Amino acid sequence: MSILKGIVGGILGYLLGAALVTSIRAATGAEPWDFEVATMGAYLPTVVGWLLGVGVWEYWARPWFGREAKPYTTVGWRRYFNFDTDHKVIGIQYLVSFLFLFFLAGLFAMVMRWELMNPGRDILTPSSYNGFMSLHGTMMVFVAVAAIVGAFGNYIVPIMIGADDMAFPKLNALSYWLVPVVVAFLTASFLVGGYDTGWTGYAPLSVTTRTGALFFNLAFLTLGLSSIVGAINFLTTVHKMRAPGMTWSRLPIFVWSIYVTSWLSLIFTQFIALAMLMVVFARTLGMAFFEAAAGGDPLLYQNVFWFYSHPAVYIMILPAFGVTLEILSHFSRKPLFAYKWAVGGMIGIAAMSAFVWAHHMFTSGMPDVLLKPFLASTELISIPTGLIMLSALGTIWQGRLRLHVPMLFALGVVFNFLFGGITGVFLADAPLDIQLHDTYFVVAHFHYVILGGGIFGLFAAVYYWFPKMTGRMMNETLGKVHFWWMIIGFNFTFMPMFWIGMNGMNRRISDYVPNLGGTNRMISLAGFFLGMSFVIFLWNYIYSWWRGADAPSNPWGATTLEWMTSSPPPLENFDVIPEVVGGPYTYGDKSAKHAILEPRL
Amino acid sequence: MGAERSDNRVDLIIVAVLWVALTGAGLWWATVTNLHPIGASSNAVISDEAFDLLLYLSMPVTTFVVVVLGYSVLRFRVSLDETEDAAPVRSNRLFIAMWVLITVGLSVYVIFNPGFTGLDALAADKNAEMTIEVTASQWRWDYRYVEENIEFLDADGLVLPVDTRILFKITSQDVIHSFWVPAFRVKKDAVPGLITEVYMTTTKLGDFAQDDGFRNQCAELCGTGHTRMRTTVTVLTRVDFIAWVDAQRNAEVSG
Ligand SMILES: [Cu+2]
Ligand SMILES: [Cu+2]
Repeated sequence: MSILKGIVGGILGYLLGAALVTSIRAATGAEPWDFEVATMGAYLPTVVGWLLGVGVWEYWARPWFGREAKPYTTVGWRRYFNFDTDHKVIGIQYLVSFLFLFFLAGLFAMVMRWELMNPGRDILTPSSYNGFMSLHGTMMVFVAVAAIVGAFGNYIVPIMIGADDMAFPKLNALSYWLVPVVVAFLTASFLVGGYDTGWTGYAPLSVTTRTGALFFNLAFLTLGLSSIVGAINFLTTVHKMRAPGMTWSRLPIFVWSIYVTSWLSLIFTQFIALAMLMVVFARTLGMAFFEAAAGGDPLLYQNVFWFYSHPAVYIMILPAFGVTLEILSHFSRKPLFAYKWAVGGMIGIAAMSAFVWAHHMFTSGMPDVLLKPFLASTELISIPTGLIMLSALGTIWQGRLRLHVPMLFALGVVFNFLFGGITGVFLADAPLDIQLHDTYFVVAHFHYVILGGGIFGLFAAVYYWFPKMTGRMMNETLGKVHFWWMIIGFNFTFMPMFWIGMNGMNRRISDYVPNLGGTNRMISLAGFFLGMSFVIFLWNYIYSWWRGADAPSNPWGATTLEWMTSSPPPLENFDVIPEVVGGPYTYGDKSAKHAILEPRL
Repeated sequence: MGAERSDNRVDLIIVAVLWVALTGAGLWWATVTNLHPIGASSNAVISDEAFDLLLYLSMPVTTFVVVVLGYSVLRFRVSLDETEDAAPVRSNRLFIAMWVLITVGLSVYVIFNPGFTGLDALAADKNAEMTIEVTASQWRWDYRYVEENIEFLDADGLVLPVDTRILFKITSQDVIHSFWVPAFRVKKDAVPGLITEVYMTTTKLGDFAQDDGFRNQCAELCGTGHTRMRTTVTVLTRVDFIAWVDAQRNAEVSG
């Protein structure tokens, strides 16, 4: 119902904005109707109309006009389709939405691999290939940026720090309800014929290409807005909502990862918004930001874009590191090794991520004097990244490893990320990057980081916290089948891509020289195999949610706060406010305690 | 406590042996396998040597992680219903110190070699015998031989003499493209309003029919025709090249 009102609000907003822009154009003597200009002008009213309709008006804005806000009365499954401020509802909304986007973008990848299975044209025109490739990349980037943070940051972080909700619950709901706008814009781009710029949307191509690009820009802009709002909320929550005794050195590593990630989002996301806005204005108002002949700079877009999008890589991977280290400790029944070094590593990565963006531009024609500094800064970022590996290996060494499904996925992250990280050292080497840049070597590299690290981390988190979120257990055997199927499919798909990249297969092409046919066919088959592994997952996920065995409050015997309350937790998370008295990983020390939950007088 | 200690020592020895063995095997594989496609320019040597050096350096790092990971999973796993904890080792100064030292050392080393050395080598010689202006547009390549004063619009191929230092001056008329010849390990974006430059020396004869690394393929997504935006590349002997240039001039005159 509220979604319907949101849609009506959005449409009214669009009509209002478009009418306003059109009448201004008519008044100034321009051709009144221009779809892109109207859409640009209608962007803000559309978003505002949607948000007001979907719940901001009823639950939030009414008091501004002297009326009573509507109380939250929705219960049961309907809550998940409503504007709801409970961080646990929002976490699940994020999770289901982004899993859906993940599978959809995965299907697009299957279509691409189908086309690439043989040299020559099979099922797609070059133009529709570009469309699928662009949407696949864009949606997967959105998933990687927002899935863990949105789902588990929201659901788990407040419980882990002993809070009853996020610092700004309404803002939290707002940041989630911007996500359907993102999806709507992506769908709109598809409906008007797609766009062919990839997720990087380089200007000037993005300025001159078809209308779909405009909707891509608006979608990215909206996701950015959602990220910034979310980041402010996480930072405030971690600073202000920690339970008594939850000092910074007692924070679980997952909380640290979300905290550091939120700083990255807060500081850098405005730059992607800027990049997107510049393209929007260049398209609709004819601003010549990127035209050298008109005083613009053709490399400006890339600089601003990567100034966000490199840190964004860490926005994608740091939460997965957090999940991984968290799980490695609990399932090794051993405290996290070198906790402070791991935290330092995360902060180090975040700090250095501001100084490496131009490593994406070694062949771009940027000034030669800048090659060395960016080569150096990029190679150095492997030092803090190495600290995460140090912590992971030190934790499992001499542990007592129980290979439950979340643990398998966490170990998978370490294994996969190893190859993603090491090949990053190759790509950072500017003399070598000249050859490897924009080839499948890069495609393999970032899939090892983002799929092998980030998405394996997402699945580790799904399996780990599923009992807490749903009150039910997932099927262990199906989970193991999923893991082995996925990691084998993953490595057989992406390992050969390093080789074809070195051997002349460049990115974002729908056809290639014939002698790469054999390897491409193998990659496609492995890719389909990888794709099928998710059928197992989906079955397990849906069936377990519906019929799975009841989960106890602490099925894994883990020590952090979220396991000290029922599965799922009550509305305010804990019946009493926990008092934190020690570090989060108390394994091997019977006298140590993380927190006390006793009714106080 | 004593038993645990000696256990640890045995584990460490096994890991060390496996590590050395796997590293040895990896390095052996890296030396006997040629991962590189044909290289036909001075720049290709610099690029391939950088790759090989990084491959050798990364071998012990990769095998270390794989061995520790694999060994831990096999050796330290317990049954799923075990609830007993492991000994609470939270830190190990020696291990951390070694780790930090080695990662810092390696990272700093690769900055200089192959990083800076490679960049310096690529930029060392700026005396070209020949200049070619490469102009990209959606979706074609134009080549202009400056000294020879011949021009090919929407070219099918790029013809070069061997053992010649060449300067490519690259630009675009619309969106960003990228001039990439895999066999030369040369890639430079074609940017509208900017002239980008690449120096390289051809070192091998060859053509597209013989090896598909001899092609100029657009490497920066530039729209619908991106995939098809390529021409062949042919490297001729210097004598053949002169003959080829004359033939082109005659064709121009008679055409
Ligand atoms: Cu980057
Ligand atoms: Cu292109």
